[in-house]
Amino acid sequence: MMDKPTWKSTLRAFLYLLPALLILIVFNIYPIIKSFLMSLYTDYDFYNDVVYEYGLSNFSDIFQDPNFIKAIVNTTVFVIGVVPVSIVLSLAIAIMLNSKIKALSFFRTIYFLPFVTSVVAVAIVWGWIFHSDYGLLNYFLGFFGIDPIEWLTDPTYSMPALIILSVWKGLGFNIIIFLAGLQNINKQYYLAAQVDGASAWHRFLSVTIPLLSPTMFFISIISIINAFKVFDEIFALFNGRPGPANSTLTVVYYVYQKFYEEWEFGLASAAAFVLFIIVFLFTLIQLSLGKKFVHYQ
Amino acid sequence: MDVYLDNLTMEFQDIKAVDRLSTTIKDGQLVSLLGPSGCGKSTTLMLLAGLYKPTSGDIYFGEQNVTKLDAEKREIGMVFQNYALYPHLSVLKNIMFPLRMQKVPKKEAKERAIEMAELVQIGHLIDRKPGQLSGGQQQRVAIARALVKKPKLLLLDEPLSNLDARLRLEMREEIRRIQQEVGITAIFVTHDQEEALSISDRVMLMKNGILQQDSPPQDMYRNPINSFTASFLGNPPINFIKVTKTDQQGKYKIMNSSQLIHLAKDIDMGQIQLGLRPENIYITNKEDALMTGEVVHLETIGRDTLIRVKIDDVTIRALIDPATDIHVGERCHIGIKQEHIRYFNIENGANLERGNSHDGQANMEKHA
Amino acid sequence: MVKSALSRTTIYILLSLGAVLMLLPFVWMISTSLKAPNEVMAMPPVWVPSEWKFENFTEALKVAPFDRYFINSVIVTIVSTIGELITTILAAYAFSRIQFFGRDIAFAVLLGTMMVPSEVLLIPNFVTLSNLGWIDTYSALIVPWTASVFAIFLLRQYFLGIPKELSFAAKVDGCSEFKFLWYVMAPLAKPALITVELLKVINSWNAFLWPIIVTNSQELRTLPVGLSAFTTEAGIKYELLMAASSMVIFPMLILFFIMQKYIVAGVARTGLKG
Repeated sequence: MMDKPTWKSTLRAFLYLLPALLILIVFNIYPIIKSFLMSLYTDYDFYNDVVYEYGLSNFSDIFQDPNFIKAIVNTTVFVIGVVPVSIVLSLAIAIMLNSKIKALSFFRTIYFLPFVTSVVAVAIVWGWIFHSDYGLLNYFLGFFGIDPIEWLTDPTYSMPALIILSVWKGLGFNIIIFLAGLQNINKQYYLAAQVDGASAWHRFLSVTIPLLSPTMFFISIISIINAFKVFDEIFALFNGRPGPANSTLTVVYYVYQKFYEEWEFGLASAAAFVLFIIVFLFTLIQLSLGKKFVHYQ
Repeated sequence: MDVYLDNLTMEFQDIKAVDRLSTTIKDGQLVSLLGPSGCGKSTTLMLLAGLYKPTSGDIYFGEQNVTKLDAEKREIGMVFQNYALYPHLSVLKNIMFPLRMQKVPKKEAKERAIEMAELVQIGHLIDRKPGQLSGGQQQRVAIARALVKKPKLLLLDEPLSNLDARLRLEMREEIRRIQQEVGITAIFVTHDQEEALSISDRVMLMKNGILQQDSPPQDMYRNPINSFTASFLGNPPINFIKVTKTDQQGKYKIMNSSQLIHLAKDIDMGQIQLGLRPENIYITNKEDALMTGEVVHLETIGRDTLIRVKIDDVTIRALIDPATDIHVGERCHIGIKQEHIRYFNIENGANLERGNSHDGQANMEKHA
Repeated sequence: MVKSALSRTTIYILLSLGAVLMLLPFVWMISTSLKAPNEVMAMPPVWVPSEWKFENFTEALKVAPFDRYFINSVIVTIVSTIGELITTILAAYAFSRIQFFGRDIAFAVLLGTMMVPSEVLLIPNFVTLSNLGWIDTYSALIVPWTASVFAIFLLRQYFLGIPKELSFAAKVDGCSEFKFLWYVMAPLAKPALITVELLKVINSWNAFLWPIIVTNSQELRTLPVGLSAFTTEAGIKYELLMAASSMVIFPMLILFFIMQKYIVAGVARTGLKG
């Protein structure tokens, strides 16, 4: 029970682990290795599962593909557009929610609603809101004297439209996590700061922000990683196209195109591998820097 | 059912938690396993339960060798320090659990569980969840759950140490009452000597995995096998003083002091350690005195008065008659009846008077 | 602490404004789904339909078999959730209660796989499934999702918090290890299990990229896939599109309203370990 591992206990554990391991090895661990190998397939017959040639040419090919470069640029623009706005908004809302207001759970519920809904469904609803002639958004903008915007057909505005949808969708998740972080801060710090004569704004800067930094850091990384993986919203918002003139072509969308539309498994795997490296780097940053530069209580 | 332990040994990595333990626990007795933490008493209980398997040695329940038998097949009941009740089940379901595991029909299981709940006096609480009960009530549930399947042996692992002082007193009487009512053989682990002495038919005192003494409680108190046993039992603890033989017949010099004391017994050793129980010491006149010193501390706790007397560099604790007119700073003469003095070997702590056989001693020798 | 910086009233106004913006798409969706075609395109917008056209929902069902999609989504969600529940309980038990050779390494490897985005696994998994002949079957939609490292990790942490004496007590009570797991450990971990599996249900119900890749036939479409296809099938009939979107969104909204406590707790916990 609490003694050392034996062959008997190992066998017993193996039986308990068997169902999970079977699934995880076949569909999680093996494909990690396989996807790396596939990115090296330069000549491959999918139907007969024969590889004629390995090489690095897939990687040089995608980096010479203007569409891939565009996908990377678009994804980066998307991340820069979504993450800071989302964090500032959700932090502000979380702080307001945390100031002992009465209808806390009511507001929390409303802000959280988009999180549980299907991205495809809400993207279609937003597509209707973005409608250039009959959409609600242009109607409201009309009050401010702004001419109707071609949100979904003008390449200039397709990315902002995507960003608006994504911020709306992800706000609730961040708010919940910020709230948990805020409620974790010991009230005594505020009392101490108050006794020291710190103003409300000062207390925010000197107590809330530093003590909330682990949470902010966590949310930033998670948001960046999730933003890099954006796909469903684009597919649904632009009717199965990566926006007008590829204006919302992202890395995952590029993978999808190469893989599912063009049947270029090697190129798609190479692009997927690049995505993995990007996500992996951010995860590493989270794991290593997270402990050093962030104030833990 | 008697329980025999034969050279039972349990090693964890390099530590011998239980070292060649042999004894017999007689049917229907309540035996305490006593000792400081880490002495191996809980490990011994786990071995008896079958939750640990010994490195060597054997355990017999009656004629049956159960050493290799798993816990679920040993037909034992066990009560844990933190009660270990199933938090998601009601009291009734908790008590029924062992019966349901034995596939006893639901109706019968329920009847037996209720009967047991009545025995431990929690019949009115059977629909509650453990979280809604007090510590004492939870312990009663744990006892009922342990007894409901009519086990051959009841094991109790420090069952009272999570309770507050008053409840502890009440529950220990309860455990004794229930044990005698059911007539079950029980083994009770505790680090509290008072608990062990008050509740049990026999006490097994352990230290560093080795059984020190195995005797009825009063015998262990009055006639400790060694200085460890003597020091572990009794509160306030026994006084030890080291003395050196002098040329004068029956006169011994107290170490770190110039005083001589008279001992009736003639021990053939240069140096010995004496054990004097505080409650045996009294204030007396100069002629009768064993020693003379200065009272440095005096406190009255309830019905007793405890004083500390300093004899040069040696301090002696004594429980005296509260009516005695004595004050801190005064000199006083203290005495003790010669037959109350215990003699120990200064090297190995052995009681120098113990040659005669006792129950526990006999037990140990039989298996040695 | 913001109390003194912003007045109470300002906070309520700002929060309410935000709440209106969050709710607006849902309100607009429901409103449109109940409108007659002439009101859908009206300018200025009509908020409350003059006549409530519940027929839009039956109309949408005529254009595309949403009932079928709904059943598919239910089957996929329920079976994969139950599957995950079983594999998770068993694996978490082994990792929390059994000492075995290679345990720490195995656990570290599994945790490591959490760093790999599932999008990366898409292509090799597609190849595996086609080798198994599972493309365009329920198995392809379900089986790969019946185990989750995240769920195992979370439940293991929970199991570690359950006192060891409980398993001792159960053994003494004559309970085998397996029975102990199902009668004691699993019921005790109910809050954690509910949280994990609710998140699973939400993800499974809303999954899109995986089902469009591994299924082709209409009979196997789940709701999000069916809805996405519907945008081309329905053309520009926004009242039908909104009715269909409502059908996809509502089950999860209802689930959320009932089980809010667990879902919020689950999300909050993922944040606190960061």
